[in-house]
Amino acid sequence: MICAATARFRFRVSSLAFFALTCAVPAHAQWVSFPHGTVQLLTETNSIAPGRGFSLGLDFRLESGWHIYWVNPGDSGDPPRVQWKLPAGITAEAMQWPVPHRLGSSSVADYGYTGDVLLIAPMRASANLPLQSPAKIGAQVKLLVCRELCVPGKAEVSVALPVSSGIPAPSSSRALFSAARRSLPQPTPKNWRLTVKEQKNTFVLAAHTGFHVAHAQFFPLGDDQIEDSAPQNLASLAEGFQLELRKSGRLVNSISRLKGVLVLPSGRAYQIDVPVRRAAPGTPGDGLGRSAN
Amino acid sequence: MRKPSTPGLLLVGIALVFAAGGNPAAKVGEPAPDFTAKASDGKSYRVSEYRSKFVVLEWHNNGCPYTRKLYDSGNMQKLQKEWIARGVVWFTVISSAPGKQGYVTAEEENAYLARMQAAPTAALLDPTGEVGHLYNAKTTPQMVVINPQGLIIYDGAIDDRPTAEVSDIRTARNYLSLALEQAMSGKPVETPTSRPYGCSVKYP
Repeated sequence: MICAATARFRFRVSSLAFFALTCAVPAHAQWVSFPHGTVQLLTETNSIAPGRGFSLGLDFRLESGWHIYWVNPGDSGDPPRVQWKLPAGITAEAMQWPVPHRLGSSSVADYGYTGDVLLIAPMRASANLPLQSPAKIGAQVKLLVCRELCVPGKAEVSVALPVSSGIPAPSSSRALFSAARRSLPQPTPKNWRLTVKEQKNTFVLAAHTGFHVAHAQFFPLGDDQIEDSAPQNLASLAEGFQLELRKSGRLVNSISRLKGVLVLPSGRAYQIDVPVRRAAPGTPGDGLGRSAN
Repeated sequence: MRKPSTPGLLLVGIALVFAAGGNPAAKVGEPAPDFTAKASDGKSYRVSEYRSKFVVLEWHNNGCPYTRKLYDSGNMQKLQKEWIARGVVWFTVISSAPGKQGYVTAEEENAYLARMQAAPTAALLDPTGEVGHLYNAKTTPQMVVINPQGLIIYDGAIDDRPTAEVSDIRTARNYLSLALEQAMSGKPVETPTSRPYGCSVKYP
């Protein structure tokens, strides 16, 4: 908006070249406060181009001791909910959520973030996005911020991005985006073999990774599939591990796939999406099989 | 010298009748774990004494924005009055530990009930969190429905709008009322579980 107004003015008094220069850089993102934190809407590039994807990021900074939630918040809480206000020709894709932390107590376990977190929102610009005016993108964020107690918050953030046909130049926030991408869960390596066996009270996730694993943590994407506060018992295998996940008491219908994020001690996180096999009838007990098969 | 028996002590705190065996016992479709708890009215209530009636357990925290959405709008009180008039026993359960958000003394709770014009059958005080743990209560407001046979027929959120905004109540699908309505007319409960949204229960 500022850019457009400036442009009209500049056009009258100065040259078209000056207009291009004035509008090449998006207006600086504004910090917007919500209870116990602030958020700004960042852009990874200084402009966007018709027919190309681009990324925006919601950059949250939280007061010490306070947290917000992952896409599956766990036992309690609620993830930030974002409503985009997009001009015609721009569409939002699914938000990318960095690996969460396990928060809460031994009886109520939540998944979320403390400190600083960047949620990346991939966007798509249609091929016929008009070049002349900057694209103004807004987001209304509703979120729940908790310490021991919870406070609902709301923030409206926006950014105006020039539309030009060239390859967009990186913005000063590019490094933040790169760092956030490194903390996103990755697809599992091709040579891993993953199985999920359903037993009476547990799902047993077995991962044959080709190396010894002494510790692992699973974050479920679906709510009320596993008991979030239950310990996840790990048994090391020669070349991998088995993780015992207690089923949620509220899991009434069986699930066909177990989806989530697996975090290894290296800090590496992997996307898990594995079909669930029912244990053969008569399989004794719930104990961990030690065989590698 | 034998100590005299003190039946009065039974009224203090909570007597867990079913041993939980380290594993949360409550599960939809299974018998509701029994307990006895002291209420803010000074009386003790044993849940198994209400067989032959529907029993609602409502986990409560008067400082939680999600609970407040339902109380400040008068919606929870309306549900209490409506269902109690239809023969339901309604226990509000407060599992906040002393010193934690939502902990109340009996007097404080009675003043709150009067101020809010809330009308549960009783407000059970569970400062040790034992009833909460027995039912694996995670959030406020989490709702549990026990049928006249003593089976849990609903465990989860009060409705399908996991927000703290009053404006969402009007258009929400109220799982609690649906479960009671369906069970009372002899139908299976269509949604027997849902993710209980809200604030975490403030256990010790």
